[in-house]
Amino acid sequence: MALKELSSLEKCLGLKKPNKYSTQGEKKVPVLQNNQGSALVGLVTIASHLVCEAQRTELLGDSAEQRAVVQQWLEYRVTRLDGCSKDEVKVILKELNQYLEDKVYMAGNCFTLADALMYYGIHHIVMELAVEEKERYLNVTRWFDHIQHYPGVRHHLPPVVVLRNRVYPSSQH
Amino acid sequence: MYAVYVLVHGLTLYTYAENWRAYKAQIAAQYSGVHLKVASTPPAFTFGQTNRLPNFLNSFPLGKVPAFQGDDGFCLFESNAIAHYLSTDALRGSTPQASAHILQWVNFADSEIIPPASAWVFPTLGIMQFNKQATEQAKEEVKRMLLVLNQHLNTRTFLVGERVTLADITVVCSLLWIYKQVLEPAFREPYPNVNRWFGTCINQPQFKAVLGEVKLCEKMAQFDAKKFAELQPKKETPSKKEKGGKDAGKQQLQQHHEKKEKKEKKEEKKAASPAEEMDECEAALASEPKTKDPFAHLPKSTFVLDEFKRKYSNEDTLTVALPHFWENFDKEGYSIWYGEYRFPEELAMTFMSCNLITGMFQRLDKLRKNAFASVILFGTNNDSSISGIWVFRGQDLAFSLSEDWQIDYESYNWRKMDVDSEECKTMVKEYFAWEGEFKHVGKPFNQGKVFK
Repeated sequence: MALKELSSLEKCLGLKKPNKYSTQGEKKVPVLQNNQGSALVGLVTIASHLVCEAQRTELLGDSAEQRAVVQQWLEYRVTRLDGCSKDEVKVILKELNQYLEDKVYMAGNCFTLADALMYYGIHHIVMELAVEEKERYLNVTRWFDHIQHYPGVRHHLPPVVVLRNRVYPSSQH
Repeated sequence: MYAVYVLVHGLTLYTYAENWRAYKAQIAAQYSGVHLKVASTPPAFTFGQTNRLPNFLNSFPLGKVPAFQGDDGFCLFESNAIAHYLSTDALRGSTPQASAHILQWVNFADSEIIPPASAWVFPTLGIMQFNKQATEQAKEEVKRMLLVLNQHLNTRTFLVGERVTLADITVVCSLLWIYKQVLEPAFREPYPNVNRWFGTCINQPQFKAVLGEVKLCEKMAQFDAKKFAELQPKKETPSKKEKGGKDAGKQQLQQHHEKKEKKEKKEEKKAASPAEEMDECEAALASEPKTKDPFAHLPKSTFVLDEFKRKYSNEDTLTVALPHFWENFDKEGYSIWYGEYRFPEELAMTFMSCNLITGMFQRLDKLRKNAFASVILFGTNNDSSISGIWVFRGQDLAFSLSEDWQIDYESYNWRKMDVDSEECKTMVKEYFAWEGEFKHVGKPFNQGKVFK
């Protein structure tokens, strides 16, 4: 899963030469064997490295504060989102929905690596949501739809259909 | 200062500095990467001088800015057209549906945002006289417009599609003044989706390059009386100048009046006056329209309308105001009219019908000194009628006296009442007191509005 994601990210970043990855441990943590010898371990580490390699460091945030927020969501992705239980999914969706009420992107006013990795990580969850749930987590859905349409992001993942007009007027806030 | 109109090489946008209309074109150019020279300061452009020169007018007959000139001599006026020209295909919308949607929002900005936004903001900038009712009405219209945007942006990141388009550029620029001047946090709080979208847009690098850091309103600006007094044309100013101000003012009023087509006359008058370069946006309303008193020719009347209005407002209608009215009414100097809305079948929701009435009152603002009316909405949603009793100075229907007053009156049937008749006495009583049988109506009283 994480490997597909990293290869999508490479394409998204416009990196021409695909890297070779392996995994380690039960959780299949991705590993990038580096030419210089030392291996890079972990999704966030490798993703950040790819961003630097592509010279797109603005995707890590363009101010100290934003860089911190990007890191916060990258960490959230790995520690909270990945492998979360069914009950936790609801909590996460609720948290994100609230967070995204007044935001278009995860950090700052532009697309960052946080949007990409959160999108890759939450895709299977949003995919499973019923129409009514998509409406309940309206801000997540709107953000998700925006990111999946962001040029070059989607790649290996199927598009999720999002309705613009609400079907369940009762859940309107 | 000596003004010159130099044909600047390259793509040039003529404007005065910090013109929100020019911003639309400038932001579009940021997205398309077109290098646009902005001529907003001397010597390239002196507002009020350069745009009066014959060769400028030759290219841009209105003498208004922003105005665009390409290096091949291609000329454009009207900010939306310029922004469209400078856009990329993505900004214009790449499918017929998308581009139609974009056009829809561009027009929405011009017809739904700008008129109430100007009516509200101009007095706070001291470029228009304050009128409480007009401001209140404008606030309501702004709320309605924001609600529409808020609903739309509930499920959307940008107005059309998933990327910034001309729709976002245009609507953001049109909202810029109210977000800066009057939309204090409590006022804008009910529109979180609009706030999110607006904040995201103004922080896009392409917007920022043009707008700089936009500081959102913290406390609603109020009428700037001092600045307004300063901006008033001084007595020694040549009369020509005042005339320009007046025309510009009218032009604005016209916008408020749902853009009635009656420009021709004004355009003629405008051509010569030096002040009309005051684009309706900034200095347009630098002076209040100084219309002649259309009732000046009437002999003095013994009936003091204001006195009656005071009684009507402050004291009991049946026992004080009405007796006062009939004791003092001067049927030579005043006339009483019954007006009934001609299209009751078109009246749907009662709140909309009420807006119809208050809108008419607002447009007749200048008539207040010489008229009084009580207009009543009868019935319920989808089954209502509007009628009222009007008291005018003189013996004629006052609306024909000024073209500013003619927007609504044709939607009503007017009947002059015989002042001495029982019918007139009854109707005056019922309409002024908002109670009674209203025999001729056949629908129950819903609510009344008083023009005073």
